[in-house]
Amino acid sequence: MKNMRLKFIKRGNMIYISHLDLMRFFQRTFRRAGIMLRHTEGFNPQPKMSFATALALGTSSDGEYMDVELDSDISSEALLEKLNENLSEDIKIVKVAEREGKESIMSLIEWGQYVVKVVPNSEYILEEVQKKLDSFLKLEEVIEHKEKKKKNKVTTREVNIRPNIKRVDLMTVENGEIMMNMFLKTGSNGNLKPEVVVAKLVEYADMDLDLESVKVHRVDLFVERDGKIVTPI
Amino acid sequence: MKNENIERILLEVEKPSRYVGGEINSIKKDINENTIRFVMGFPDVYEVGMSHLGSHILYNLINTVEDVACERAYAPWIDMEAKMREHSIPLYGLESGDPLSKFDFVGFTLQYEMSYTNILNMLELSNIPLRWSERGEGDPLVVAGGPCAYNPEPLANIVDFFVIGEGEEVNLEILDIYREMKKGEYTREAYLKRIAQVEGIYVPKFYEAEYNEDGTLKSFEPISEEFPKTVTKRIVEDLDSAYFPDRFVVPYIESVHDRAMVEIFRGCTRGCRFCQAGTIYRPIRERSVETIMNHSRTLLQNTGYDEVSLASLSTSDYSDIEGLVSRMMDEYKDKKIALSLPSLRLDKFPIEMIEEIQKVRKTGLTFAPEAGSQRLRDVINKGIQESDLIESTRNAFRRGWSTVKLYFMIGLPTETDEDVMGIKELAYKVKDEFFAIPREERKGNLKVTASTSCFVPKPFTPYQWFPQDTVEEFDRKTLMLRKSIRDSKVNYNSHDSKLSFLEAVIARGDRKIGEVLIEAHKRGCRFDGWSEHFNYEKWMESFESLGIDPHFYANRERDYEELFPWDFINTGVTKEYLIKENEKSKMAELTKDCRLGCTGCGVNNTFTGGVC
Ligand code: SF4
Repeated sequence: MKNMRLKFIKRGNMIYISHLDLMRFFQRTFRRAGIMLRHTEGFNPQPKMSFATALALGTSSDGEYMDVELDSDISSEALLEKLNENLSEDIKIVKVAEREGKESIMSLIEWGQYVVKVVPNSEYILEEVQKKLDSFLKLEEVIEHKEKKKKNKVTTREVNIRPNIKRVDLMTVENGEIMMNMFLKTGSNGNLKPEVVVAKLVEYADMDLDLESVKVHRVDLFVERDGKIVTPI
Repeated sequence: MKNENIERILLEVEKPSRYVGGEINSIKKDINENTIRFVMGFPDVYEVGMSHLGSHILYNLINTVEDVACERAYAPWIDMEAKMREHSIPLYGLESGDPLSKFDFVGFTLQYEMSYTNILNMLELSNIPLRWSERGEGDPLVVAGGPCAYNPEPLANIVDFFVIGEGEEVNLEILDIYREMKKGEYTREAYLKRIAQVEGIYVPKFYEAEYNEDGTLKSFEPISEEFPKTVTKRIVEDLDSAYFPDRFVVPYIESVHDRAMVEIFRGCTRGCRFCQAGTIYRPIRERSVETIMNHSRTLLQNTGYDEVSLASLSTSDYSDIEGLVSRMMDEYKDKKIALSLPSLRLDKFPIEMIEEIQKVRKTGLTFAPEAGSQRLRDVINKGIQESDLIESTRNAFRRGWSTVKLYFMIGLPTETDEDVMGIKELAYKVKDEFFAIPREERKGNLKVTASTSCFVPKPFTPYQWFPQDTVEEFDRKTLMLRKSIRDSKVNYNSHDSKLSFLEAVIARGDRKIGEVLIEAHKRGCRFDGWSEHFNYEKWMESFESLGIDPHFYANRERDYEELFPWDFINTGVTKEYLIKENEKSKMAELTKDCRLGCTGCGVNNTFTGGVC
């Protein structure tokens, strides 16, 4: 038995695959590759496989992770090769390592890095956007109204999401598009979506952006180890 | 991705991966001007289409031909359809993203009458004229096959030509002739004339129907002597050596039957009198255990599925079912691969074996007694005894099962209210078996589900002369059951009688019904088989606006002299045999299984290859 952690990319047609479908997809990929996963006991044995976080439909990523328990003894290199033989260009394993520690990948993930593209409704130059962004990042409070449905009642809660934004860097303003690099809280210990940050830029920093145009690409996921932020493998 | 327009709308619709293609094992060929392009249209949503074994076989088979590219297209779900219309996106083949109008052939498989409006909708979404008479040289040829093609007449003004019988046999021939003719003097007309001579092909434009004043068919003849008077179905003679794909396209989203499927035999010898499949798939042909083992091994390997299903009309009738199952179990148990045996007749299958199979994954038990009383089961020649059912359930309950599903039909010939109530009684007897087990030995929570569907008389069955119950009569019987089944352990489900009524109209429809289909389509009917989209009123308005009486088709008793719209099709089973069966049915006389001795259906005079 071997505990493995895998990093993979997801793009092209694969961005339309939901989280649940992705699980099934990988289970089948392991079978095609002839690698047996360990299964849970009981009436409906399930292969032991868990993912870091769910990626929203329509989002591409260069940094997704999953943990698996293998029933066979196979080297990291061979595992990577065999799986990729059975995958397409749109989904590929890029790194494999034997897993240390017991915690699930899901509970470990703390931060996500995203490249976000958005089309502004007005014409901006870089300096203007930078200024607005600077003022936004100086705020200590950015409020998000979270709706909660309880039976038939909808209650809203105010949450300060500012601590969930580690960084927002302006990359380019050109061809009628603004590109940003965002570092946001991600995972089961808090989760902030890049789309929400863009909406807050409109609300708090007086930016005139087309919210429907937002395109997100996940660059990587990070864990905190000894106070340092590092990738899971 | 095909184009930016599509990309934009994909995130606004449910399950976008239905529409992107690129699945594992899908085949994307390079297209050049010599490529013959075929698209297999499935007139239902993607998940249903992907669960259809025949489509997987044909898709792969056609793609084995080098200069032919076969793609897939499914009916877009309502949300996607709206977006496609809004952005003027034509229906496209999943492999290339090219509009269907660019293909040489657009094929449809006819599995179910209530999917016909989806065909029309798919043609419209592709900007292909609905009637063949409106299509010209530049338009694709619209072809259809599948079980419902045995009465092709409702689609006779829509489809250019039909394949009657098993597609594996005929499809490559059609393509070969097309390729040949494209090199020389090809016209649509010339091609259709040429293939109309091919056995198993029906080209409606070369046949003329005349009607009597009462609406019945007066004559049905080819327009000239060069076309055959009857069209005989085509079958695969030797199933064991017949083509079977070594891979299936594996959908990303969960399909209805999300597993590998291997057909273990074709046909059925039981001779249930309501069953059309029992006639059209005759004679019975089996694959050997060895072949089945090989097919499933490669399929599992190439798809990565963790379940294999042994498909057939009546799985336990496979001659060496026990041998097959035990070999499969030996091979798959450690690999955690589940085996599923749909259409099991539990009267014939040892429960110990089912228990063995379900060690990997446990499901409920399903029985199809079809009728509530022994008399009526004899009428329909179901051949199941009440004691079979009771014993099997008793055994199953002892071994820890607690969920049982029972399938019945109402409206069967000679049915009385007593027979209907027999459904309740049988369900209650099953319940009693569970509680007859001492309390401390019972396992699980009992759930008996009795479901009734409304009987639809079909062509090529002994009941093709039979009047269907009216909607009111169905509803009365259903209500009677609903009122009397009052037990927290027994659930009762019934099927929509209005839908079954329309199914009956189309199943025995003639060419006039084709215009009704077009009218219903114009009024917005589609996905009729999905209760949330079925609109009975629109259908009724369609009949009325054309002055066509649907009851003429569904609820009318025919006499043996009447000429039927489908009589020109030869399934191998004679009309005399069907008449004889109908008469025996009236007297509740049984006909034995053909495996026990020939019952004289006639199929062996036309076809070889079967057991008889
Ligand atoms: S067992 Fe009866 S219902 Fe089933 S396929 Fe055979 S003839 Fe048809």
